[in-house]
Amino acid sequence: MLELKNLCVNYGGIQALKDVSLTVKTGEVVCLIGANGAGKSTTLRAISRIIRPKSGSIIFNNTDVSRFEAAHVVRLGIAQSPEGRQVLSRQSVRDNLEMGAYVRNDNEINADIDLQFQRFPRLLERQNQLAGTLSGGEQQMLAIARALMSRPKLLLLDEPSLGLAPIIVKEIMGIIDTLRESGMTILLVEQNARLALQHADRGYVLEAGNLIFDGNAKDLLDDPRIKKAYLG
Amino acid sequence: MELGTFIQSLLNGLSIGSVYAIFALGYTLIFSILGIINFAHGAVFTLGAYFTYFLIGGVNNGTGVLTNLGLPFGLPFVLATLLGSLLAGGVGVILDRMAFRPLRARGADPLLALVLSLGLALLLVNLAQYLIGAEILSFPSNVYGDWLPPAINFGSTENPIPVRGVQIIIFTVSMFVVVILTLLINRTKIGKALRAVAENATTANLLGISTERFILFTFFLSGFLGGLAGTLVATSFSISGPYFGVTYGLKGLAVIVLGGLGDIPGAVVGGLVIGLAEAFVPGDFSAYKEAVAFALLFVILLVRPQGLLGRKVIQKV
Ligand SMILES: Nc1ncnc2c1ncn2[C@@H]1O[C@H](COP(=O)(O)OP(=O)(O)O)[C@@H](O)[C@H]1O
Ligand SMILES: [Mg+2]
Repeated sequence: MLELKNLCVNYGGIQALKDVSLTVKTGEVVCLIGANGAGKSTTLRAISRIIRPKSGSIIFNNTDVSRFEAAHVVRLGIAQSPEGRQVLSRQSVRDNLEMGAYVRNDNEINADIDLQFQRFPRLLERQNQLAGTLSGGEQQMLAIARALMSRPKLLLLDEPSLGLAPIIVKEIMGIIDTLRESGMTILLVEQNARLALQHADRGYVLEAGNLIFDGNAKDLLDDPRIKKAYLG
Repeated sequence: MELGTFIQSLLNGLSIGSVYAIFALGYTLIFSILGIINFAHGAVFTLGAYFTYFLIGGVNNGTGVLTNLGLPFGLPFVLATLLGSLLAGGVGVILDRMAFRPLRARGADPLLALVLSLGLALLLVNLAQYLIGAEILSFPSNVYGDWLPPAINFGSTENPIPVRGVQIIIFTVSMFVVVILTLLINRTKIGKALRAVAENATTANLLGISTERFILFTFFLSGFLGGLAGTLVATSFSISGPYFGVTYGLKGLAVIVLGGLGDIPGAVVGGLVIGLAEAFVPGDFSAYKEAVAFALLFVILLVRPQGLLGRKVIQKV
């Protein structure tokens, strides 16, 4: 479904990604793990065309993503829940969900909003509240629900567990499992390697802009080198 | 103060204040999206008034190169105002396409955009002076139609409180525009997307909202509001020449700073407050009326640096 080939990204003179190649197949949950500053968010930003890579290609369902503007990538079927949630803080929870469906013109948007409320009952209670007044966990749920509102084929999740209480993290990982069971294709970025590998089919490990390991999630969890450096 | 004079000042203040409000909303929209003040907005105000003047079939009695010329037709006033304001919106679009966007694409400092907008203001004013001339152009006194009395009495026959009919029209139209704009921004998909762009352009992109399209739409809306305000004021007084919009341009700045930069209800409240303050300046001091807006601004900013309705921290894109 998604294939990155020799992706290089620079910020000014600094090389953030060096020859990153990875694939995500339909129906897979793939996680991209690595320390802070490794280049995980940069990878997702490049896929969503928020930043322009220096070289390399991003192919999504046989389409070269680099032909499109950032705003068009969502129409191709790639939605992102960005790092730091980035909810529209001055709009209501419901309006945030509506904006998630910005690219759609069908008449099932309200039904889909109800679907998100079933998935995240806390959002239902707060649907008319300004998103900026939600707790961190609720904002994370909103960010995921909002991304789902575009009915994506590929869901990009950037650090959904960051800064959240363990019980909320469990709830959110449960949602990711449910999505996985329903056949959703997900690229999950996490600093919390153990957590990500426990919920993924495959994993890639990024270190200072280089992919250093990849493999089945179970194998990576048992790999002594990974245990030492990332699961400590 | 006598009750009659009070009511008169109140209505006049609300009327002019409501025009300040829609004019200032043009500044506010662009500021909230781009974080820049478009100094050419005052010139767009002037152009809007000129457009409508010529669209109703007005002849140029200025001494510019187009002296004594006019369009071969005249539209009904309402249609002309609408079209004139749309054209002013078009000017906004052209300004963005030809000037602001190239700067943005190069990632230029917002300060440069500010200086550029000052340059554009001068350019437009000089162009108007060259083409039309510096003379005053007046709308016919019955431009709204003969049904509108020159003055409406809000008092009794013994104690008349006359207010000019034009003022009542201006207030009604401006407030109508404020309501429509508020509904547009708060209730429609376009409005919500516009606010998303204003809050965070990158996030808007991630949702599939094209920032550039909304920036263009904002310039159009801003130009439309500026042009409409220009026409309304010109029907109440006259087009005093190419520099017609300069005072309003400055006062509009006072309005948005007073209301809170980038804040839409703030621009409306700010406009009404300044309009009222001016209207209540005693007749003996009316020569200093223009200074009132800035005196008020100074005092209020000392107490509330974020403006009347502004947030403590100004958020911009
Ligand atoms: N906007 C930016 N400008 C300059 N450098 C950046 C920018 N964003 C990220 N970087 C740098 O790029 C590298 C990768 O960052 P990022 O992709 O955010 O890492 P991660 O998400 O893995 O924590 C880091 O060294 C970071 O400092
Ligand atoms: Mg990151």
